Amino acid sequence: MIKAESIDFYYGEYHALKNISMQMEPNTVTALIGPSGCGKSTFLRLFNRMNDLIEGTRLEGKCWVDGVDIYDKSVDVDELRKRVGMVFQKPTPFPKSIFENVAYGLRVNGIKDKKFIAQRVEESLRGAALWDEVKDKLKKSAYELSGGQQQRLCIARSLAISPSVLLMDEPASALDPISTSKIEELIYSLKEHYTIVIVTHNMQQASRVSDKTGFFMLGELIEYNDTKKIFLNPAMEETQNYITGRFG
Amino acid sequence: MERELANIKDTVNEMWRLVISQLEKAKQSFLTGDVDLGHEVMSRERRINAYELKIDSDCENYIALFAPVAVDLRLVLSLIKISNTLERIGDFANGVAIHVVKDDCIAFTKALSEELRMEELFDVLLRMLTDSFVLLQSENTQLVGRILAQDDTVDQIYDDSIEVLSNYLANHTDQTPCGLKTLLLIRKLERIGDHCSNIVEEIVFYVDAKVLKHGGKTVPLDRESKE
Repeated sequence: MIKAESIDFYYGEYHALKNISMQMEPNTVTALIGPSGCGKSTFLRLFNRMNDLIEGTRLEGKCWVDGVDIYDKSVDVDELRKRVGMVFQKPTPFPKSIFENVAYGLRVNGIKDKKFIAQRVEESLRGAALWDEVKDKLKKSAYELSGGQQQRLCIARSLAISPSVLLMDEPASALDPISTSKIEELIYSLKEHYTIVIVTHNMQQASRVSDKTGFFMLGELIEYNDTKKIFLNPAMEETQNYITGRFG
Repeated sequence: MERELANIKDTVNEMWRLVISQLEKAKQSFLTGDVDLGHEVMSRERRINAYELKIDSDCENYIALFAPVAVDLRLVLSLIKISNTLERIGDFANGVAIHVVKDDCIAFTKALSEELRMEELFDVLLRMLTDSFVLLQSENTQLVGRILAQDDTVDQIYDDSIEVLSNYLANHTDQTPCGLKTLLLIRKLERIGDHCSNIVEEIVFYVDAKVLKHGGKTVPLDRESKE
């Protein structure tokens, strides 16, 4: 389970997130939607402490992942990032072979057992619905894959280290409709094993893949509810105006 | 996107006005025995069908091209159902006109018209149809109770008509075919009341996102097999 409680976040003087509290249940997909600059990606990045890498930021409030206060001083950020995988807008394969891309996280974590690594790579590629397409060319460069395949490779790379949470920041925005469809099917199947949070600008994607949707605007969480409720009968006028395209 | 939806709504409004006019003319044709007016109603029936097809097509295009959600989705779904329902009401108005034009039982029906409260029945139905039109324009769902209550009057007139016709036919058995045709005619009018209620339910779904249909109760689909 992921939980945020009374989160305020600042980039220097800029108040980017204002008193955000929300909870994502295990094995669900939560979509975060809202206009550009509303804070949804900032919020997403809190959960694997990616914002720590930006100078001048400040956080108030608490974030929990699987019952652990992830901003507690005792938390090892590397360990946290093993539990919380992240997929970015643009596919970010390493300049290595397909196999080595997926094995990378395991090797970095000191695993040397070749048999175990090979098994985990296959499991991860299968989990990312890519195995059948790459099983005969695992030694080829990841750059030889299409954009959609590269993105699924990045998902496989995240799965290899057995996270419990997957964060996805617009994972299909740079992909064509067929690749997007594959990613969406993948998200749907992955929720059986992971808790997934996805930032998207694509309203239809949010409605297709998520169980719950949170609408952000100007750093505030305006509405958080079941996706069906949000897209059929949102409680807040701002949500309705945004999802129907009346402003943004 | 808003303009497209407004255009569809305008077309539904045009269809609605035509259906009100059809029912009004069917009523006049029936009460006065005006066969020409009956023919006019019958000839305009095709326009109503054309409206239904156009609205279906426009709504399909709108959903395919604009992927509406929330209030826009509820409105377009409601407009599809309202236009389908208006087409059925148009059919019933046409049925009244055919009853007049055929002329084989019109004398029988007119003779019992007062006792059967036919004019009152037409008036209540026209009021329901007009009030529901106003409801869609005003989106004031406080009017809903008043409109739906009128269907009780329609049902009462229909129930009473069975008794009136039963008593009459008991002493005039040779007129049984016309008695049955008259009952079918009144049954059609009673169905218009139900259709107006359905339209009101659709408007409430659009405005308030509430389901009034079947009392708003949902039962799991597998329940039937267990019961």
